Amino acid sequence: MSLDRGIRMPTVAVMVTLCLGMVLVSGCFLSPREQESPSSGEQIDYVNDNSAVNVWTNLEISLNNTHAPGWETRISDDFQYTPDSQALNMPGLPPGYWENWNKERESAFINNLYDNVVGIISLMRDPDFVVPDESGGVAEWEGVIYDLTVDSGGSVIRYRASADISFRLEGNFWYVYRWIDLIGESDPETGQTLSSMGVLRGTFGSN
Amino acid sequence: MTPADECLRRRDTSGFLVCRTLCILLPLLLLVAGSAVAQDRSRDNLGDQGSSADYAAAIADSANARADSASAAADTVPQVYSTTAGAASTSTSGLFTSFKNTPKAGVRANVRQNNYYGELTTNLSMRGGSIANNRLNWSYDQYRKQDKTVETRGLGLDYNTGSLLPASVRASGKWNWSEDKTVNTTGSANVAKRDFKSGTVSVSKPRMQAGMFLTTLSAAVGINDQKANDQNVQNDFNEASVDGHLQTGARVARGVTIAGRLYAKSLGGDRSLGTSTSPSSANSDSMGIGIYYDRTVAVGRVAITRSNFDKKYLDFNRDQNGQVDTLTPGVEKYVEELETKDAISIEFENRFQIGRIDLRANLSRDINEQDYAISKAGLKERQQDRMNLAASFGAGRDSFEVAYVYGYKWDDQKLQDATERRGRKYTKDRDYEFTWYRDLFTATDLTVKYHQGLTQDTAENQYNDNDKDRLETDLSLKLGRNWNSGFRVNLGFNWKGTQDLNIRASRSSTNNHRDSYEVAPGYTWILSPWLTLSQNYRLYIQYTDYVFSHLPDVNREDNYNKRGNLNTSMVIKPSSRLRLNLKYDYNKRFNATKTATDVTGGSKYRKDLIQTIGRVDLAVSYTVAEGVTLEGATYRNRDAKDNIGSTTKTTVNHAGEMWLGCKISQKWGTKHPLELSATIKKYNAYGPSVTETSSDYWEADAWLKWEF
Repeated sequence: MSLDRGIRMPTVAVMVTLCLGMVLVSGCFLSPREQESPSSGEQIDYVNDNSAVNVWTNLEISLNNTHAPGWETRISDDFQYTPDSQALNMPGLPPGYWENWNKERESAFINNLYDNVVGIISLMRDPDFVVPDESGGVAEWEGVIYDLTVDSGGSVIRYRASADISFRLEGNFWYVYRWIDLIGESDPETGQTLSSMGVLRGTFGSN
Repeated sequence: MTPADECLRRRDTSGFLVCRTLCILLPLLLLVAGSAVAQDRSRDNLGDQGSSADYAAAIADSANARADSASAAADTVPQVYSTTAGAASTSTSGLFTSFKNTPKAGVRANVRQNNYYGELTTNLSMRGGSIANNRLNWSYDQYRKQDKTVETRGLGLDYNTGSLLPASVRASGKWNWSEDKTVNTTGSANVAKRDFKSGTVSVSKPRMQAGMFLTTLSAAVGINDQKANDQNVQNDFNEASVDGHLQTGARVARGVTIAGRLYAKSLGGDRSLGTSTSPSSANSDSMGIGIYYDRTVAVGRVAITRSNFDKKYLDFNRDQNGQVDTLTPGVEKYVEELETKDAISIEFENRFQIGRIDLRANLSRDINEQDYAISKAGLKERQQDRMNLAASFGAGRDSFEVAYVYGYKWDDQKLQDATERRGRKYTKDRDYEFTWYRDLFTATDLTVKYHQGLTQDTAENQYNDNDKDRLETDLSLKLGRNWNSGFRVNLGFNWKGTQDLNIRASRSSTNNHRDSYEVAPGYTWILSPWLTLSQNYRLYIQYTDYVFSHLPDVNREDNYNKRGNLNTSMVIKPSSRLRLNLKYDYNKRFNATKTATDVTGGSKYRKDLIQTIGRVDLAVSYTVAEGVTLEGATYRNRDAKDNIGSTTKTTVNHAGEMWLGCKISQKWGTKHPLELSATIKKYNAYGPSVTETSSDYWEADAWLKWEF
């Protein structure tokens, strides 16, 4: 086409100015809303993400406060999730549901969960679990048992399962980058086998 | 053993034999029928000659148009164009043109599991493009880190008549069997079993020309049968289905086509869940129409699709969020559910291109309504709007791209027994991106990218306290130069600002602004054909400022985190057979918390943590002979951490790994080749995170395949 042969430096300058103008104008539109000042007595106290154990503690704090940013910011951009057998075989899920469960889907799940429940009480690490040291920016936890009770208003359902969790130091902070649910564990009080968070992901991730 | 187990066991054996017999007989029966008909039809008569490419593409687009989730469960559009794809070349010398068997057996092993598998694939090609395929497979997984085994068996049959008949006929059958045994830490065992069989016969007549209309018709009947048991809950169904699909289109002007499609499916049978059994049914239909155009500088389409279904089935008793509630005493475990869904989607897409100016637009709206008669979830409504606009243009040595994305969606719910709706949850996304690329001078290029995105969540009537905004802004600059002598230099600069802001008072104490800066210079130098050296340095620093940290009630302190990373790597290739990779990675990071602000506004920080990580990697690869390679790698890592408080606590950890292995890839014979592929590695590792099962294990991927 002859059009681009006709374009010279003045045109480039106009184009750059236009583009930058658009960016600047758009930038003005994108400003967040005013926030309410925090109410006393309702503090969410996260700990610094400078170790794997702190990141896991922060996930527990996020669950107990149904505070989605607290979960999302501790999930690695390369996050991978693998469900246990029960979640994998959940009836009603579309084919390929568990493929490519990445950070985006994890964020959608946690927001959906927090938006629709009344409250959660969680203990993300059983007291007997021995936390291994980190080394070289990697920490691998095998068989950690987490336990959470979800109050939906009309029903209270407990989830308890064992999982393998991998943490990684990325940039300046630690993140969860791999979560493999192994199996639903028994309810310590009734002996009934409970479901994993995979079942919770299957339920809320598909809503 | 429970009666259900006994039943599944009986079915395992009988199903296997039946399917295996079918596997042999079905293609033969169909072959006989097909060949008899073929005597009367000596020529292909698909009638698709002369149809224009754009017209066919428009119809194919229509068939594959974005199907709404309403129809996803019950609506499977037959891929009528694929039925003749891959057909073997026709020979007039006999009925069969080729017959091929491919048995394959292998083993895979890694730190988590060992997997053994075997399969037999049979392909029979016949005259007129008719083909019959059969695949028999078995696998067994043994988990190393938990008490778990999984066995699967499967059979797949597929036969299509190619051009033997006036219409394309396809018959397929499938059998999947699996048994998944797990034991949890308290010794409680579960066996999840599934035995699934399905069969489908479909008929399609593609691309029939009638006047100005080009039409494809297809219909299918199928049967699905499942016997499954998980957590001691039986989940069986036996259902038959019938569906029909019509696609038609007409070219109304040069480069303009109107195409439409109709689809309907009906399904009926029985379902058993736990101790309950009840009839099940599903009816669904969808209709779509689209206008497709391709006029010199503008290409695009407008399409609208409407779909709906109603399904009656036995289901678990679910709460308002869809969670299965089987633990609460006195609650009915299983219910007969009636689910309905209506959906509409509208999409507009356009591309306008002149020379180096390219404008693209994509707008869509999806609306759906889903209603449960029994589930406490009740009625759910959703709407999603999306707009993507992008413009790119080039001028001289510059090129620019500007993109804008706007997303708006909401969902609402009216619980089963509620009189009022919950209130909408709104999510609004806006995203801008600007990219400038310029050839600065010889072999030197510059890329500048600016992006800003804002996501806002709002709960109508404040039905929860989760209203929040996330604003992300980033600017990156990359400069690169290639020297003729094999020397390339890169310089990167990135700034990213993130604001995580909760709107409501109960959540806003953690609101913060995070600004991170990164400078990354580096070079790659090819010193000689056998030696390449590269070094990259990265410095990151992130400041976190808590919005309300000045309030006495807020227990948050501003901080910064800094990390420097120097990565040096060398690739040495002393000969065509030998390759060595050497790498050294040095990391140092600090965490610091703000302690005070002086009179000039400057901030004072105290260091909380100093960490130094050094890691050296070595990898060797040696080709012993063609198809045989010996490999090995090792790393050593030192991690020293000083936690600074009232006293300083120092921790030093060492970790490492070594693996040795070989890779073999061999093929013997040409007419009936025997192929071997094997990668075997032995791993040994140590370190604080390394458990017994991870400290000493084999990794393998080996298989043997024969074709005859």
